[in-house]
Amino acid sequence: MSGPSGAAIALHDVTRRFPLKGVPEGVLALDRVTLDVQPGEFVALLGPSGCGKSTLLRMTAGLDTPSTGTVRVGGETPAAVAARQGFGVAFQDHALLPWLTVRDNIALPFRVAGKPVNQGRIAALIALVKLTGFEEAFPRNLSGGMRQRVNIARALVLQPEVLLLDEPFGALDAVTRRHMNLELQRIWTETRTTTLLVTHAVEEALFLADRIVVMTGRPGRVAQDLPVPFARPRPVEVMREERFHEMQDSLVLALEPEAHD
Amino acid sequence: MDRLLRPFIRDWWGILLLLLAWQAWVVLSGLNAIVMPRPLDVVADIATNLPVYLPALGISLAAAAFGLVGGFMLGLGLGILTWASTIAAGMLTPVTVLFSSVPVVTLIPILARLFGYGPGTVVAITVIISFFPAFVFSSAGLRALPPGSADLFRVLGASRWRVLTSLALPAAMPNLAVALRIGAAHALLAAMVAEYLMGSSGLGAMFAAAKSELNTERALGASLIVAAISLTLYLLSLRVEHWARARYG
Ligand SMILES: Nc1ncnc2c1ncn2[C@@H]1O[C@H](COP(=O)(O)OP(=O)(O)OP(=O)(O)O)[C@@H](O)[C@H]1O
Ligand SMILES: [Mg+2]
Repeated sequence: MSGPSGAAIALHDVTRRFPLKGVPEGVLALDRVTLDVQPGEFVALLGPSGCGKSTLLRMTAGLDTPSTGTVRVGGETPAAVAARQGFGVAFQDHALLPWLTVRDNIALPFRVAGKPVNQGRIAALIALVKLTGFEEAFPRNLSGGMRQRVNIARALVLQPEVLLLDEPFGALDAVTRRHMNLELQRIWTETRTTTLLVTHAVEEALFLADRIVVMTGRPGRVAQDLPVPFARPRPVEVMREERFHEMQDSLVLALEPEAHD
Repeated sequence: MDRLLRPFIRDWWGILLLLLAWQAWVVLSGLNAIVMPRPLDVVADIATNLPVYLPALGISLAAAAFGLVGGFMLGLGLGILTWASTIAAGMLTPVTVLFSSVPVVTLIPILARLFGYGPGTVVAITVIISFFPAFVFSSAGLRALPPGSADLFRVLGASRWRVLTSLALPAAMPNLAVALRIGAAHALLAAMVAEYLMGSSGLGAMFAAAKSELNTERALGASLIVAAISLTLYLLSLRVEHWARARYG
């Protein structure tokens, strides 16, 4: 693995302890996690529930701070990157503002940044996530999958240096989810933005990522770090290859809690 | 005709029934008109004495409107202050709760010394009455954010001002509408009570004067007008609330 200097995201020896009532030493959520993401790389984080994936992502975005260890994004602190709108984020709750239309929700990062709204870019993104015709619709009038597509479009609108996705398709049914994976892959191939994706779905991670980092739970540690060998662009057929199934099986096995006892 | 009448009866049958019962009771029991006039006599008194009623109503309505707007702005302003600063929240919240638990009636002598026995004090009382719901509901509403939106604004490096104007205030709209509904229903009543107790001007003073002259029809006429307008304001602000919920909720 390359050194910390060139990495787009560099988490070093990150430990996070949460206070817990009745437990003096608190809960150790993350234990000395080190993780580098190279510029233009797509890394997927897999791990059992409660192993600290979201915590890791939140610390990368500057929403949480490590108890010990360092977090750097492009060599800077997350706060500095956030201040110049360097992050694009899409978390599990889509966080669309119910009083704004699809167009205005996607335009929100421009407004927050105090930048002139680039209507051309917004129209292009709406087309990219296949929501043309829904520009003036409100979130409550969209399906779950459509809302998540708005969420993704909003994450991309300022052309972020780093894209952070926390189970953005977690609430979707399997068919919609696969469809969203295809779209995300297509969008990502066009932009090649450095991306960190948290997911529970092994198939999703294999289909989308250049590298998969598997974590163990309680406390969260990095257990495996494996490259995904499939060439890009990846057609859907990749998911039917024998190699894909082998990797899928071994990852599912690695995720079973008994495997770490 | 039927299409107009039917929804009217559906929505208002309770009040119609009450008026009918009142009329029937007075007629059947043969009570003296000074003790209890018939509703039709009260309505007739209003209809034939509009030049007496209308100016008084104008004064009371103006006081209520100023008080409602003033109290609402004050409540919202202090609500924003507690949102922006925990120090302000720690200081303001107990003070306002204490203030609101004091019966307004007991404040009248103090306020009257400050603002005089006139419309100034009436407005001050309505401000106090409308202030509390506006403060409580805006404080809560500014914090009732869509899930994940606070994190989103933080990751986007939003300023405090931007969070207030683009997130907290729009999110508070349904709550602010509730505060408006509560305030609108009580503002005119509060103005009238203050006018009544000071005997200054407006419908309240008219009520006080009519009462001392044993002019029961006039006293009930003033009450009827206030009740009808308060109800109308309440229903109108209910509409606003439904809109705010649909648009911002
Ligand atoms: N704000 C917090 N306060 C206290 N404990 C927390 C907090 N956030 C997370 N934790 C704890 O840290 C651990 C990791 O939580 P985290 O949300 O990062 O897990 P996760 O891997 O994202 O799980 P999931 O896959 O279920 O989303 C959990 O044990 C959780 O209880
Ligand atoms: Mg999580």
